[in-house]
Amino acid sequence: MLQLAQRNLFQSKARLLISVGGVGLALMLMLALDAIFSGSEQQLTAYIDNAGADVFVAQSGVYNLHMSASWLPASVVTQVQAVAGVQAVSPIMYLTEMIEVRGERNAAYIIGLPPNATLGKPWRIATGVALPPKGGTVIDQGLAKKYGLNLGDTVKVLGLELKIVGLSEGTSSITNSIAFIAMSDFAQARSVLASTTSGAGMTGMSGSGSGGAAKLVSFVLVQVVPGQSPAAVASRIEAQVSGVTAQSKTAFAAGESKLVRDMAGDVLAIMNTIGFAVGLAVLALTVYIATFARRAEYGALKALGAGNGYLYGVVLTQALISVAMGLGLGLGFTLLLAFLLPLFSSNMALVVSGQSLLTTTLTALVIAILAAILPVIQIAGLDPATVIRRRVQ
Amino acid sequence: MSAIVDTRIDGRTEATVAAPATLQVSNVSKRYGAGETEVIAVNNVSLTVAPGEVVLIMGPSGSGKTTLLLMLGALLKPTTGTITLNGEVISALKENRLPNIRLRHFGFVFQDFNLLAALTAQENVAIVATLAGMKNGAARQKASTLLGELGLGQRLDFLPEKLSGGEKQRVALARALVNDPMLIFADEPTANLDSKTGHETMRLLQHIAKEQGRSVVIVSHDQRIKDIADRVLWLEDGQFKDMVEMPVDPVCAMPVERGKAIEAQWNGKPYYFCAQGCRDEFMTEPARFAAK
Ligand SMILES: Nc1ncnc2c1ncn2[C@@H]1O[C@H](COP(=O)(O)OP(=O)(O)OP(=O)(O)O)[C@@H](O)[C@H]1O
Ligand SMILES: [Mg+2]
Repeated sequence: MLQLAQRNLFQSKARLLISVGGVGLALMLMLALDAIFSGSEQQLTAYIDNAGADVFVAQSGVYNLHMSASWLPASVVTQVQAVAGVQAVSPIMYLTEMIEVRGERNAAYIIGLPPNATLGKPWRIATGVALPPKGGTVIDQGLAKKYGLNLGDTVKVLGLELKIVGLSEGTSSITNSIAFIAMSDFAQARSVLASTTSGAGMTGMSGSGSGGAAKLVSFVLVQVVPGQSPAAVASRIEAQVSGVTAQSKTAFAAGESKLVRDMAGDVLAIMNTIGFAVGLAVLALTVYIATFARRAEYGALKALGAGNGYLYGVVLTQALISVAMGLGLGLGFTLLLAFLLPLFSSNMALVVSGQSLLTTTLTALVIAILAAILPVIQIAGLDPATVIRRRVQ
Repeated sequence: MSAIVDTRIDGRTEATVAAPATLQVSNVSKRYGAGETEVIAVNNVSLTVAPGEVVLIMGPSGSGKTTLLLMLGALLKPTTGTITLNGEVISALKENRLPNIRLRHFGFVFQDFNLLAALTAQENVAIVATLAGMKNGAARQKASTLLGELGLGQRLDFLPEKLSGGEKQRVALARALVNDPMLIFADEPTANLDSKTGHETMRLLQHIAKEQGRSVVIVSHDQRIKDIADRVLWLEDGQFKDMVEMPVDPVCAMPVERGKAIEAQWNGKPYYFCAQGCRDEFMTEPARFAAK
């Protein structure tokens, strides 16, 4: 059965190429798109994962970093420090804003760091320093490369002309990069922001007054005492400090990933459906044609005493081999793409997750089974007598 | 001038009929369609095929030959009547039992060979043996032995497309034989072969019957097959006609079917020929041939 299926498949090279190629491309569509979103997910949580913090303390009700604004009175920092199980704290200021280079605006997370920051600073530096002094900024290496920027060049962040003092790695995603600036610049810029932009950046600051700039931070990053559970420390912080939401790094990152998945969910579902349909159509057609072309042979086999089950097996095996090869091809191309893409574009990362591989494999299996249905019906209805009558031609 | 030809070849028929019957057909009819479009393709036919017997079924086109062969080979159920194989009524068996009967007891040879194009000669034969449960290695061994006996020892690894028509038919023959069937059915086995390879195939079929004791049932228009047949049955309008009146080609002396033969008039009388060549030859010296 396997032998016949295999020989039938490989005898018609063009047909094999079409079915394997078609199925491969369809599966690649599914794999690659999922990989892009998985990559974005990783990129989006890159800051949370690498900030060095075990717990993130935000304004009450703020659960995400992306597209959110969190403002806390600076006094919270000392309150958090006092909670049992907390080893070290470091505040940051944060806004989703723009880096302007030669009049072009690039979306960015702007992180304001205190001069002595131990947590939340860039984790990998290509050149320069990690901690920006007043008037300086650390931007993503990929962004710098895109504009041919070097240390000493200036970019506009939050309306301030800042000199590049360092280039960081791993700090860009498909949608934005991260720029680190001094907290004092950030605080100063808030008033600039207040006068040029309306709403968004300001909402969290309402009621704090213009003079209270230095008295506000966005998040308090917490390192727990070794051996302490971040989740337990987070609940303790929420219990003892009023007006805050504290989450362990894992919970915070999970919430962030969910954001991507929620956004990507529909797109993925649509693309998966398209991939499924394309793969199914190509395979069903080629398997059907392959069976149709050999119906005289199958009829002869039936006359010679082959049971329907055997012939179904041959057709299904053919579909399964095609799909397995298509899956290999699709996966190969996706991995190749994942390898090649970073060489050409710095802010897109493809990550083939085990989950996605499993889903795609199952989808491929379903495609193979569905594709075999029509030919199986065809074989079921094939009367061996027609072979002898020469009505099959 | 026409001759009465007894289609029974006497002595041999008697000899084989004495042996225990293997395939018995009793009052079998086959009706296609119903009402206006009803066709009675085979009408109340009875027949016994003995072991080692070569039965040739001839008859005009549409007379029901293929229909009868399909019923004998358990590929088509009779509308009425019974077919028994060694006492077992196979015409009453459930559809799902028939493949196994065909696999183990029958071998088929088709006009179009119908070899599996993707498999080599050896694999084409071996696959049918594995269908019957033989292990792969043993099946290949048996296939190569059989093909060797049929003179295809040098062609084991050839794909069908690389084989001549006669070679293909021999592979098909090996395939039909691989499970040691009691009966071989062949519908027009020589129709797609030139006369030399057609003759070879006939000899092989005869050998299979005589040396191996298998029954061979052939449907054909090929007059030459008569030479190897123990019995020639003439089917017309779905019924056997014991005797048949057949004109004889005045040039080569071959009996020919009136409807199919090439006709010529000479001296106000019709003459029938097996081929254009005979007719042309006749016309060169009609008087000499007509006198024969
Ligand atoms: N499946 C079918 N449905 C309806 N009628 C059929 C079917 N098969 C055969 N017939 C009819 O039954 C009759 C006998 O057909 P059959 O094929 O058995 O003849 P045959 O003797 O083999 O003819 P030929 O010499 O041309 O092969 C014909 O009239 C044919 O048209
Ligand atoms: Mg016929």
